[in-house]
Amino acid sequence: MHGFANPARFLRIARWLMPLCMGAGFVVAFGALGWGLFFGPAERLQGETVRIVYLHVPAAWLGMAGWMGIAAASFMELVWRHPLAGIAARACAVPGAVFTAVCLITGSLWGRPAWGTWWVWDGRLTSMLVLLFLYFGWMALSQASEASDGGRNRAPAIFGLVGAVNIPIIHYSVIWWNSQHQAPSITVGKSAMAGAFLWPLLLAMLGFTLLFAGCVLARMRAILANQQAEARLRRKALGAAY
Amino acid sequence: MREALDAWTFVAAAYAVGIGATLAMTLWSLLSMQRAEKRRDDARKR
Amino acid sequence: MQESAENMAQTERMAKGTVQGTIKAKHQRLVLLVIALVVLIGAALLAAWALRNQASYFYVPAEIQAHPPESGRAVRLGGMVAKGSLKTEADGVTIAFAVEDGKARVPVRFKGIVPSLFVEGSGVVAEGHMGAGGVFEADNLLAKHDENYVPREMKDMTREQAEKVMRETTR
Repeated sequence: MHGFANPARFLRIARWLMPLCMGAGFVVAFGALGWGLFFGPAERLQGETVRIVYLHVPAAWLGMAGWMGIAAASFMELVWRHPLAGIAARACAVPGAVFTAVCLITGSLWGRPAWGTWWVWDGRLTSMLVLLFLYFGWMALSQASEASDGGRNRAPAIFGLVGAVNIPIIHYSVIWWNSQHQAPSITVGKSAMAGAFLWPLLLAMLGFTLLFAGCVLARMRAILANQQAEARLRRKALGAAY
Repeated sequence: MREALDAWTFVAAAYAVGIGATLAMTLWSLLSMQRAEKRRDDARKR
Repeated sequence: MQESAENMAQTERMAKGTVQGTIKAKHQRLVLLVIALVVLIGAALLAAWALRNQASYFYVPAEIQAHPPESGRAVRLGGMVAKGSLKTEADGVTIAFAVEDGKARVPVRFKGIVPSLFVEGSGVVAEGHMGAGGVFEADNLLAKHDENYVPREMKDMTREQAEKVMRETTR
């Protein structure tokens, strides 16, 4: 754990891990999308619209995983003050928000032909929209705290942990409450989804997860490099002043 | 009366949005990383 | 010489003390944070439990029959379209069917375009109000999909056949 907290060691790992994640993610994700789109079957009731699942479900998973990443990094930030924890949290925000938005948009494009409506205010859809707004709020707060408390990240870390309460609410919304959205098809060790849909979906989830990891690593390298550049320039400016 | 929409229109729109957003995000992450690391290396050199 | 050795020992003791101090502070932060998280999650679960009726998107037939909403108030009714209940009335556009949840049945009337997934034995959410004679007058119908995903080629097979195919393809 402490090994990863060392920026130099992190860079040494990220330098080969980031392109690996991105390359493998590309091949797997787009292979799975092609499989589902062109070779997968249509669904008994939904017909061709079911193919949206190969984008919608990975996007939903990564939208939630992004916030889980922010929460985990925030926890490390608050307890152990790892130098990379705040950077990791900030790196998760944009990819997580993008996937949450993709989940909402593809869901809307799926809901119109399948349910007969673009949007309803049921528990699942509302809590997912709340997640998107949480991302926006978190990004604004983290930017503000970077400017004001010198990147100590206390306020965004607390926000990241409190906001994590929304994740189980999203997941259980379709179980606790009557909702327009159906219950989960894939639960631990069981699937209500035929293999012809399940396998390309699992592959797409793996591929998009790798892509997500690659993007987070690239964001971390970017944030770290910017911090190092600024520290260097500040030191130089000080040196010139004396 | 039953609604009859062309499913492929919605599938195509969803894929355009999903793939477009993923590619844009990946590209932006890579470019901003390259820019930042170049900035750091320049700061070290000077 | 001796003095500097003493100084060194002292700084070492001090360093040890601060290391222990930071470890203790870390433990304190960890415990505090875990307690805060447990309280927070408990509060959220309580809120979700308290909201379980208010946050529901629709009423099921049993709830509608137990506490009928005053006629005219806009409500949503959700459940399964009862098998064999779907009928088109004489005018050709009004349909009548029953929504059931295993405990109760509510008759529904609707005039308009139904979504393509609206079929008997599948889920539906009807937006509308209770009319005269206990018939739910729907202004809008939304189809509800269930969690089962079955390929189209399997739709005419019997359950056993489909399960056999699924077993073979998923292996």
